[in-house]
Amino acid sequence: MSSWLDYTINGLIVGNVYALVAVGLALIFGVSRLINFAQGSIYLVGAYIGWVAVVQLHTPLPLTIIVVAVAAALVGLIIERFGLRPLQNSVRIAPLLATIGISFVLDQLVMLTFSPNPRALPSQLPDVRFQIGGGTIGPLDLLIAGVGITSALLLFVFLRYSKLGWAIRATAQDRDAAMQMGVDVNRVNQAVFGIAAALGGISGLLVGMYYNQIDTAMSLQATLKGVVAEVVGGAGNVPGAVIGSLLLGLVESYGVAVFGTSYRNLFAFLLLVVVLVLRPNGLFASARQAPPEPLTGTFIAPSRPVRIPRWALLIATAVFAILPLLPVSFYVLQTLINASLLGMLALSLTLVAGTIGQVSLGHAALLAIGAYTSALLSLTFSVPVGLAIIGGGLMSAALGTALISPSFRLRGHYVSIATLAIGEIVSLVILNWESVTRGPIGISGIPPLSLFGYELVSPISIYWFSFIAMVVLALLQGRLLGSHLGRSFRAIRDDDIAARAYGLSLNRYKSLAFIFGGFAAGVSGGIAAHLYSYINHETFNTQQSILALTVVILGGLGNVVGAIVGAVALVGLPEVFRIAAEYRILIYGIVLLLLVRFRPQGLLGTM
Amino acid sequence: MTNTPPDALLALTDVNTFYGQAQVHFDLSISVPRGHIVCLLGGNASGKSTTMKIILGLVKPRSGDVTFDGASLLGLTTPQIVRRGIASVPEARRLFADMSVRENILMGAFVRDDREAIAQDLDKMLTLFPKLGQRLSQRAGSLSGGEQQMVAMARALMSRPRMIVMDEPTMGLSPLYVDRVLELIRTINQEGVSVFMVEQNASLALEIAHEAYVLQTGKIVLFGSARALKDDPRIRDAYLGGSEAA
Ligand SMILES: Nc1ncnc2c1ncn2[C@@H]1O[C@H](COP(=O)(O)OP(=O)(O)OP(=O)(O)O)[C@@H](O)[C@H]1O
Ligand SMILES: [Mg+2]
Repeated sequence: MSSWLDYTINGLIVGNVYALVAVGLALIFGVSRLINFAQGSIYLVGAYIGWVAVVQLHTPLPLTIIVVAVAAALVGLIIERFGLRPLQNSVRIAPLLATIGISFVLDQLVMLTFSPNPRALPSQLPDVRFQIGGGTIGPLDLLIAGVGITSALLLFVFLRYSKLGWAIRATAQDRDAAMQMGVDVNRVNQAVFGIAAALGGISGLLVGMYYNQIDTAMSLQATLKGVVAEVVGGAGNVPGAVIGSLLLGLVESYGVAVFGTSYRNLFAFLLLVVVLVLRPNGLFASARQAPPEPLTGTFIAPSRPVRIPRWALLIATAVFAILPLLPVSFYVLQTLINASLLGMLALSLTLVAGTIGQVSLGHAALLAIGAYTSALLSLTFSVPVGLAIIGGGLMSAALGTALISPSFRLRGHYVSIATLAIGEIVSLVILNWESVTRGPIGISGIPPLSLFGYELVSPISIYWFSFIAMVVLALLQGRLLGSHLGRSFRAIRDDDIAARAYGLSLNRYKSLAFIFGGFAAGVSGGIAAHLYSYINHETFNTQQSILALTVVILGGLGNVVGAIVGAVALVGLPEVFRIAAEYRILIYGIVLLLLVRFRPQGLLGTM
Repeated sequence: MTNTPPDALLALTDVNTFYGQAQVHFDLSISVPRGHIVCLLGGNASGKSTTMKIILGLVKPRSGDVTFDGASLLGLTTPQIVRRGIASVPEARRLFADMSVRENILMGAFVRDDREAIAQDLDKMLTLFPKLGQRLSQRAGSLSGGEQQMVAMARALMSRPRMIVMDEPTMGLSPLYVDRVLELIRTINQEGVSVFMVEQNASLALEIAHEAYVLQTGKIVLFGSARALKDDPRIRDAYLGGSEAA
């Protein structure tokens, strides 16, 4: 059996791997105040380039590492040059969204090139283990530790003694002052992205060898772990990122030792949330350190929303209402049902992210809570489905708000990280809380939609049901935005310090927004559960959260009509153009990138 | 208001600057003759720091021109402008707080590659600012305000600039340090470096300046030689330097 020493060794080795990702994130955050959500994709690219090198080109190990580092660095340079540099003068959310789009594109390109099936990545090292104390250690462990320590040393020497290293440190501390010393910050950004990508790529290679398996799901996991480690160590703090990574590795390893493998990630995200709530500047930040986010300013692109006359909205609603009576195919209805489900989620997200400015990356968790609640209420307690769905909405509103409330004092990027983590936690709790959620098996046999005892089985009735639900929620939200409450929400988004000075209680308003938004998302999840009849912990995943965000940006942040238009467009257009399923995520990523670059205010404008 | 004299090292001509909708400079024209100390006086929010940012390329004017040694700076980035020979002492010093004093001073020589000469210049800074000698390995962020000002000036000099622009170099300093700083500015200038400085404290600035401009809500309202301005009653009407005003 494994000893505690084994778990410690394992924790430190895994920590080393995380450190290679986290250090890159810290460097990038340091110089450009950006959390690079594409870091995991570079790690993925590194793993697959490593696979090509090892399995197809049969390169020796040192050469493999060099090939991976160089290729990954190139990817990093390309991302910086073409993805991010054009956004230098955009609103602050733009580069963050761009890295999300880039990560979708890269992951999908890898998936399309190599297929989603896992592959073995042999380490080329002898499979022996040496006894030390009560544990064992193998050549691969030593390699990983060696690469980790060597990289850290090289980086230290580089930052401390090279001219470019000085420029990086100076830029991280004061960008304007560094420019006034003659530092070309574009070159600094380039250097930092190149280094971060090289380290990230090597990390992917090593992880692939460590588990002797690579697949495309690695990407998001790596980003998440790297972000956890980086934030724990203090965003932008390079030595902090190393320590945060080792700590994360140990916490996970001991967590696994005590509770089992499926708890690994739960511990990681709990650690993140605890640190975010108690010490948002990281464990090692000193009090004098200024908060790494500018305090106020336009996080969201301001614009003049497109005015749509009331009669046009009425006509559009009427057309969609009578649509099923026209000779349309089952396929069209099916698509529009999906669009209304996504539309409800988008309504929720556009309120939370657009109107009150809390850019959530974990919104799918609200779907999951609504879906599980509604499914269990109707299955276990025989609650009528209509009521169960409302119960799902209420539970999402209550639980979602309760989960996010400790993070209310966070701002900007930190809100995004916290919501991402909470989304993962919800999914992991569903996975592990078997007595209630049935764990990995999921819930099957969920009763179909019904209303007042009548089962809704025909596509027409299901269409009307979800369409009406969406329209009602949209009307409510429209009223809300026109009210005093809506104005307070926007005041908080635009300048939370001033809003507080006017006597607005931020926590109360943020709670109200999440309650309203949680309800809409919960209803959407509830309907989906009865529609699918089977759900599990992966039904509502981060991909959906990001899809919802793309919809919301497409429509215009905060814009109610925009959310619905965006949902119909993103669900409908791929159908119209008959784009194969495996290309869709790629398209969504590209849409997100193009929007951020060329039309950050979306189709209908932000409100 | 002013015609660019032929010997101007730096000249701003009819500069109009905006932050969004708000106009900060109205047809601003300033020139700094070679070898002179020119001072820009003005109250809070009159647009002084923005003038510095215009010179350094951190903010771009909507119209007008900025020339240095006869060539326009408008198309250049900040690092390119610095390489032309303009060094800066920013408002509130803006040292690299987590770097050592030595590293901060050497950062000033970032645009240079002549290692030996840089080392010599570092020694020279230590004779010019003797107090910094014992502080070289200390974190810059832990220095006193006066010491930080010395570091900021040493840092600016390290690029061997033809011109230094300074934003309120005496702000927040004790009278003793204020005198030292003014003395140093004079020394620097005597070694051939032109100086453009922004000040709120008119009486102090006019002690060392050759010429001065008075800026009021983005417009130059007064210009003349320091000697003439010192005795000008309008200096008090146009610009109130608080109780220190002469
Ligand atoms: N980045 C900015 N965005 C918008 N407005 C700005 C910005 N920087 C300065 N301003 C505004 O421009 C005006 C001039 O500012 P500036 O900093 O140039 O004044 P100043 O004369 O240096 O003032 P002080 O003596 O207080 O340093 C002020 O009203 C200020 O609020
Ligand atoms: Mg100023």
